[in-house]
Amino acid sequence: MTEASEIRMRQWLFAAPALLLVGLFVLIPYINIGIMSFRTPSTTAPYGPGFTIANYIHILSDSLYLSLLAETLLFATTTTAVCLVLAFPVAFHLARTTSRWRGLLYAGVLSPLLTGVVIRCFGWIVLLANNGLVNQALGTLGIGPFQLMYNATGVTIALVHVFLPLMILPLMNAIQSIDPHLEEAARTLGASRTRVFQRIVLPLILPGLQSGVILVFVLAASAYVIPMLLGGGRVQTLPTVMVQQLMGGLLWPFGAALALVLSFAVLASVWAFALLGRKRMRRLA
Amino acid sequence: MRLASIVLLISVTAVYLFLLLPIVIVVLASFNAAEYLSFPPTGLSFRWYAAFLSSPSFTGAFFLSIIVGLVAAAAATLIGTPAAIFYVRFLDRRREEFRLAMLAPMLLPEVLTAIALLFFFNQVFIGTQTLLPLILGHIVITLPFVFLTVSSALYNLPAAVEEAARTLGASAWKAFRRVTFPLIKSGIVTGAMLAFIMSFDNVNISLLLKAIGTSTLPIQLFDYLRYDFDPTAAAASTISVGLTMLIVLAIDRIYGLRAVRF
Repeated sequence: MTEASEIRMRQWLFAAPALLLVGLFVLIPYINIGIMSFRTPSTTAPYGPGFTIANYIHILSDSLYLSLLAETLLFATTTTAVCLVLAFPVAFHLARTTSRWRGLLYAGVLSPLLTGVVIRCFGWIVLLANNGLVNQALGTLGIGPFQLMYNATGVTIALVHVFLPLMILPLMNAIQSIDPHLEEAARTLGASRTRVFQRIVLPLILPGLQSGVILVFVLAASAYVIPMLLGGGRVQTLPTVMVQQLMGGLLWPFGAALALVLSFAVLASVWAFALLGRKRMRRLA
Repeated sequence: MRLASIVLLISVTAVYLFLLLPIVIVVLASFNAAEYLSFPPTGLSFRWYAAFLSSPSFTGAFFLSIIVGLVAAAAATLIGTPAAIFYVRFLDRRREEFRLAMLAPMLLPEVLTAIALLFFFNQVFIGTQTLLPLILGHIVITLPFVFLTVSSALYNLPAAVEEAARTLGASAWKAFRRVTFPLIKSGIVTGAMLAFIMSFDNVNISLLLKAIGTSTLPIQLFDYLRYDFDPTAAAASTISVGLTMLIVLAIDRIYGLRAVRF
């Protein structure tokens, strides 16, 4: 062995444990899910012998699962859209502020992200319950009470809350990397505020915006805990049905096929969005 | 112009309120004397903390979470740090592929990873009778946080520092131990602490991979909240939030919160 290749070998040893971990516990299990989705069901074991495409046919021909899929994607779309609207002012402010509270404000965005999902859902349960804080406050004004929980409203509110920091952070990073002089120059040259935003700011933050949108969409579409807790069993999404089936019964092949249908639908949506973004970027460039 | 900045300020404040209110509410609820979660609080009390401490299922779950978090964070740090060194210092081809492989557990939906691991462990491995699947799952999902933090610490450190040590006659190992390691140590510690937080808060992996009859704190809370909202859960949540905040403060002290990348 030459000395150079010996050094290379030794360098790869640094990466070996991590590659082994990801290969063994991410790559192979994901391939395995793919195979599992073509297995035959069995009533006595997690799956039967032989292969079939019946699981996919079952899902794609059953209006129950198709409407669950549509509902899951709708939740994800609504969540992403609301996150985008709420994230913009905060990201802008955080990127440009010179306030000495800036560190604290940043911690304010980061700390929800570091607080467990269950705890944040708990907070919303206390707030949104029929006799919760929001309804009590509205009651003193003589309005309500409203059903804010155990329905789509509660689930959407909690989804937005949980994933909002993941929209703010990439947007903030993108805005931070724009030289403010660019905007000033455009303004000096007579561009209106809206025009500056459309022609200067938006194209430059589009990559950050895109990564935020994709992240939130994927996570919202695969959320399990939030629809379980805020939906209270009355809101079902594909992930909740999937996990219940896998934990309750021995329906591994069917659960695996559900998981793959969901992933495929999410990937297709993300891909369509990325394509849309690229087209828009080209038009602006 | 003035109006625009006032509108911006109001909307920013509103979003911060929205972000922080649910967490503040849980903390306040845990000190409430009333039997049921109600507002405004009827009085200050630590009775729910006493209830938490005298509940074996809650304290047991808390300690299991701590143990799993510590083991997972230690393992993820030992595995992720050399991988980050490899990526920043050695790798010259297929860099993006390697980075994506390291970040995959963070980018892939957690529920899916949990299901994939559940099948895998039951089929070809050890089943879910022991703690091993749970801990392995937690190592996998915390690895990206160590990798990200240590790589960014290495990027902030010019390779020339190490080269200078080598030129002055230090062996590669000595240059790493005496020069590079002390300079990226705070990055490594931060990565380990983030890994601990991510493990400590995890629900999806734990739910599917936990051994039967055991549960971590988030799982215990999850099960509890589906049937019962008594403030013991608020006390448990507050303890968990407090622990997280302490770690975040420590990260800010030793590394700077703004340097943390997601």
